[in-house]
Amino acid sequence: MAPVSSMPRASYELPLLPGDALPASTVPHTRASLPEPLLLQNVVWFCRVRWIVVALLALFGLMGLFPQLERVLGLRVHLHWPIVTAVVLALANLGFLTHARLLAKSGSPPGARANLWTQIIVDLAALTVVVHYVGSLETYIAFAYLFHIVLACIFFSRLESFGVAAMACVFYLACVALEVAGLLPGAGLYADNALRGQIERTPGVVLLSAASALVVWLVVWYFASHLSTMVRERDSQLDETNRRLVGAQREKSRHMLLTAHELKAPFAAIHANVHLLLHGHCGDLPTQATEALNRIAGRCRRLTAQIQEMLQLANIEASEETSSRWTDLDLTEALRWSLSEVQPLAEEREIVVEHDLRSARTCGVEDHVKMLLLNLLSNAVIYSNRDGRVNVRCLPGAGNGPIVTIEDHGIGIPAEKLPRIFEEYYRTVEAVRHNKESTGLGLAIVRRVAETHGIQIRVESAAGVGTRFILRFSSAEGSA
Amino acid sequence: MAYIMIVDDDDDLAKAFAKVLTDAHHEVEIEAETSRVLERINRRPPDLVILDVMFPGNSSAGFELARDMRHDHRQLGEIPILMLTAVNSKFPTGFSERDIDADWLPVTDFVEKPVDLGVLMSKVSALLQRGASAIERSERAQ
Repeated sequence: MAPVSSMPRASYELPLLPGDALPASTVPHTRASLPEPLLLQNVVWFCRVRWIVVALLALFGLMGLFPQLERVLGLRVHLHWPIVTAVVLALANLGFLTHARLLAKSGSPPGARANLWTQIIVDLAALTVVVHYVGSLETYIAFAYLFHIVLACIFFSRLESFGVAAMACVFYLACVALEVAGLLPGAGLYADNALRGQIERTPGVVLLSAASALVVWLVVWYFASHLSTMVRERDSQLDETNRRLVGAQREKSRHMLLTAHELKAPFAAIHANVHLLLHGHCGDLPTQATEALNRIAGRCRRLTAQIQEMLQLANIEASEETSSRWTDLDLTEALRWSLSEVQPLAEEREIVVEHDLRSARTCGVEDHVKMLLLNLLSNAVIYSNRDGRVNVRCLPGAGNGPIVTIEDHGIGIPAEKLPRIFEEYYRTVEAVRHNKESTGLGLAIVRRVAETHGIQIRVESAAGVGTRFILRFSSAEGSA
Repeated sequence: MAYIMIVDDDDDLAKAFAKVLTDAHHEVEIEAETSRVLERINRRPPDLVILDVMFPGNSSAGFELARDMRHDHRQLGEIPILMLTAVNSKFPTGFSERDIDADWLPVTDFVEKPVDLGVLMSKVSALLQRGASAIERSERAQ
């Protein structure tokens, strides 16, 4: 037989980071550009803006029906080119919109990028036509290309936005070159061609005008793309941090749930064995032994209750991730259930619980709302003095959500301690003196449920007088 | 006197239950691993199984065993199962009777930890009576 030392061993390498600690982003997000679903939203937005451009072009073309404008403004407005350009843009826009709707229905955002690029090319071409007819060198219309360059910087990567800037330069230079070479017929808005003619006859002016336009575009591209990249990177970092925080929170809740479950098991065994002794299954015990066992049983009970409340808190936090358990609730029914649960405790302490419950509805997670009500009712009973009285009222709430009031006439809470009562594990000295079994988690659970359900809580209390909790729930139509 | 099998990896808890049940004149056996239970109960079917939910390495081993027993169309499907749960019905996220069905909570009844021994005994008595009635009905049907 081979010696033990030479037997093959299995191996496992501990990963440095937990594999599932970070929830994966559902959107493939590149730092360089906006994610595809966001691009798809902007495809539709561009199409809406283009309708405005189409309308403006059409109006401009209609001005060509008034030749007297030439005399009044010194401008030569043609009918045909603005109308033709408007029609072409409108038809293209319809095509872009139809494609965008198909993409949205099919859930295929990768087509959004192609749609946007096509829009940009068509726009640049149409803009070049406008630039030619308005006046490529003698007016400032060429700076309209900046709209597309800046938008490209916002939506695309630096390289892609440079591509748009380069395309704009090519279109513009081609237009100017063809005009100067005489291959494109003379155009321009000015009725008097003298300025145009002067410019074309002076090559230096042509070069200077064209070059300054290009330099301005490229400088704007540089700054806009740089700033846009910085903003996108920052957005990406924030998104990453947010995902890590969400993952950490989930991990914390999961850890708390697991730890609490693991702690419950040994206490169940201790509880069972202590009761085995106390109920005489192991023979009669000396009085002192019985007293000691009762103390052990009491501590076990408290610890079990504490673990149970930790589980509840973790359960609420864990289920915040989903709203699938939200339903329309009968608040009166939840109150009746809570009252029946607390009745044995009230009888044991000789506390009379009076209630006036009107029909009321809200919405939320039924288990959590019941947890909230039961905790408040239990506290009202526990912190009442013997032979005391607890009042519970539920009113529908005129115009707003239902209002529940839970009032006791017990030990009360000193004013300076009121702001802290919802903190985890916080207990006033008076509370501990009155009830050693208190875990300090009950009102933390109430706070958590109230936060997730948008329940407003007002506490009114005075030491030695009693405490009143006033809860305003959301109406059945609204939700938190 | 009934033959009861306790399936729980917590030896301290299982022995406490066994003591109480033995004092009530029942025959008790303890099994710590779910993988061995089906073979054992096929060899000698108990009158009642007291079954924990979670076991080391598998947080739903108890459920899976109960489901396997329920889907057995022979005598195993008739054996009453009392499940030990870790959540408390005082807080409404625990199990309730409406949760009991062959797929979701494939047990006959459940009892919450920490287990009150009096509650345990009353549930055991009720389940043993039910089990006995079911056997009678089955024999009459044959």
